[in-house]
Amino acid sequence: MNDILVIAKREFIERVRTKAFLIGTILGPVFMAAIMIVPAMMASKLQKSVSITVIDAEGSLRALVEDSLRGGEAEPESPAAMRQKAEDAVSGRQRNLGTTRFVIKAPEGADVAAQREAAKQAVLKGTLDAYVILPADVLTESKVEYFAKTVTDFEGIRAVDRAVEKAIFGKRINAAGIEPGKVEALTKPVDLKRLRVSEKGEQEDQGVSFFLSLILVMMIYIGTLMWGQIVMTGVIEEKSNRVVEVIVSSTTPRNLLFGKLVGVGGAGLLQFGIWILALVGVSAASGSLAFLSGIELPEINPVLIAAFPVFFLLGFFLYASLYAAIGSAVNTIQEAQNFILPVMLPIIMAMVCWPVVMRAPDSTISVVLSLIPFMTPILMFLRMSVLMPPAWQIVLSIVLTSLTISVVIWIAARIYRVGILMYGKPPTFPEIVRWVRHG
Amino acid sequence: MTHALQLKNVRKAFQGHVAVKGLDLEVPQGSVFGLLGPNGAGKTTSIRMAMDIIGPDAGEVVILGQKSDKALRNRIGYMPEERGLYQKMVVEELLTFMAELKGVRPAESKKRMMPWLEKLGLAGWHKKKANELSKGMQQKVQFIQTLLHDPDILILDEPMSGLDPVGTNVMRDAMIELSRAGKTLIVSSHQMATVEQMCDRVALINKGEKILDGRVSDIKGSYGKNTLILAFEGDGSFLKSLPGVASVNDTGRYAEVRLGPGADPQAILRAATEKLKINRFEVVEPSLHDIFVERVTEVRS
Repeated sequence: MNDILVIAKREFIERVRTKAFLIGTILGPVFMAAIMIVPAMMASKLQKSVSITVIDAEGSLRALVEDSLRGGEAEPESPAAMRQKAEDAVSGRQRNLGTTRFVIKAPEGADVAAQREAAKQAVLKGTLDAYVILPADVLTESKVEYFAKTVTDFEGIRAVDRAVEKAIFGKRINAAGIEPGKVEALTKPVDLKRLRVSEKGEQEDQGVSFFLSLILVMMIYIGTLMWGQIVMTGVIEEKSNRVVEVIVSSTTPRNLLFGKLVGVGGAGLLQFGIWILALVGVSAASGSLAFLSGIELPEINPVLIAAFPVFFLLGFFLYASLYAAIGSAVNTIQEAQNFILPVMLPIIMAMVCWPVVMRAPDSTISVVLSLIPFMTPILMFLRMSVLMPPAWQIVLSIVLTSLTISVVIWIAARIYRVGILMYGKPPTFPEIVRWVRHG
Repeated sequence: MTHALQLKNVRKAFQGHVAVKGLDLEVPQGSVFGLLGPNGAGKTTSIRMAMDIIGPDAGEVVILGQKSDKALRNRIGYMPEERGLYQKMVVEELLTFMAELKGVRPAESKKRMMPWLEKLGLAGWHKKKANELSKGMQQKVQFIQTLLHDPDILILDEPMSGLDPVGTNVMRDAMIELSRAGKTLIVSSHQMATVEQMCDRVALINKGEKILDGRVSDIKGSYGKNTLILAFEGDGSFLKSLPGVASVNDTGRYAEVRLGPGADPQAILRAATEKLKINRFEVVEPSLHDIFVERVTEVRS
């Protein structure tokens, strides 16, 4: 027992003292803040202006389209909408980043053909960004053409699309005999409010739970792999430095392995602890920080904060003991590469299953997946952050994973015991199986 | 007499290859014991079994008269042949860490390490990182590491390898000091000269078996004074063709000549003076080196 603590202490101090740890600890929250705040800030600050000409063959639509281009997107966006944008940016869904401001340029030329030619020349010269042609039969055919040097400004195009649509709809509704004033009221866009139902009542949730779970689950995933790799590198170093034989003459390989896991896991936990404190701090201070005004940061559920270290450690102990076994069997990090993929596969699978669990966190498939020990650290935690599962499932998953960990550590320790004194050609997989069998 | 270390019929096989075949070894307390043998003879495997780093397939390890356990193994200081230091650790912390694994409190080991650092010429280096030390210095740190928990028995696997002559002397003096303080030293080595000078007992292992065991003086005595030492100037290549000469270990200006049964040393001296300028002539017991080579080649053929 004393051995384990002595080894854990050394590992912990060695990891925490490195520059990498210091930099990671500082940059982690900066990076997290960046992925939360920057898209939101960009959404509100980044305005680009597009010069556009509306060429109207129909005859009565130009003023209407220009009006709605001028005003349609100018209204200030709600904080909720901006947060939505931030979320979308993180999840990769492109919705509506930033606001496009249109500078309307009147068409030049006597007729549509001349106007079209003039606009084309202007775009080629670079004095105009885009032009839209409304054909004579646009009201019946609903076909409009958009011309620009590039047609990949999806957001700008969507804004044009909406503006034209609004004008044409208005026109049609007018034609149907409804007063212009009423059109605005009748076509007012719907704002879909998302509400989460729980025992505590109905809570407005603009996807914050998604966003938060994303960060925390990613932290478990990256943390497990990163700190697992650190354990592996440490084992390889010990082996290539030839330190290991001195140590196993004072303690058992099993205690050495366990001490390592405790020490490195502790360092990982400390870093995450600092990050979470920073996150809570930023969250709490966001109201008073000027540049964050108008941006609501996710509130953090204390249950998740308490569960985080548990699930991180479950994942870490499970995977890091396998990493340690690999490290003991090989001589260099390059040799380890061949063995790493099979070990990482289950946790990658868990990440692949994420959307399934996200969509229906209490479905049978989600429950089963989250109870598979190698996936529990990711998927049970994900379920907890989306929709709190019944307590028995959480407890069962922790028990199952802990049992698996003790089996895996037992196996890893047997590989470790043989591997640390083996130099030369790395073993084949059947050889490793034999090590485990005969220890 | 209690033995510091006993191996009773220990055996170890690795995937069909038998590394140690039922080895019996008795190391008397307070002795300086040389464990000799060519590469791959099973020396390191035997030592690893004594330290419970490898579990023997059969046999028993007895330390200080009792069946080996963790507490008894803590009475041993072990410096393996495959040895190294955590390169990024400060020497002082390294030493306290290793001693703490053996149950010595950091404050105590800091007190104990200073005189040793001084003795081995490392005074002032304890705040440096291991990778700032030369190879020889690192080896001395490893040596201190081995004895900081004040063990009764020291097992040193190739303690001198990689040391320069000055370092070798410093190490040898330290070992002699430990021996005088009543420690039992088990030295595994190829360096016969060192073993011959230091050890009072040796065991010779070849191919996992013990082929020679006993007091150095007894072993050498059993061969009788059948060796001539010649220091000379000139070409000594003819020596091995002289009648009565069994073998010659010629190093250019110095030769050890093994005599066959009934050979006359004086006749050889006369023959040698005819062709060489002789600076030294002595009739002695064979060196451990010669005995070692002879026994090992005997077993091979």
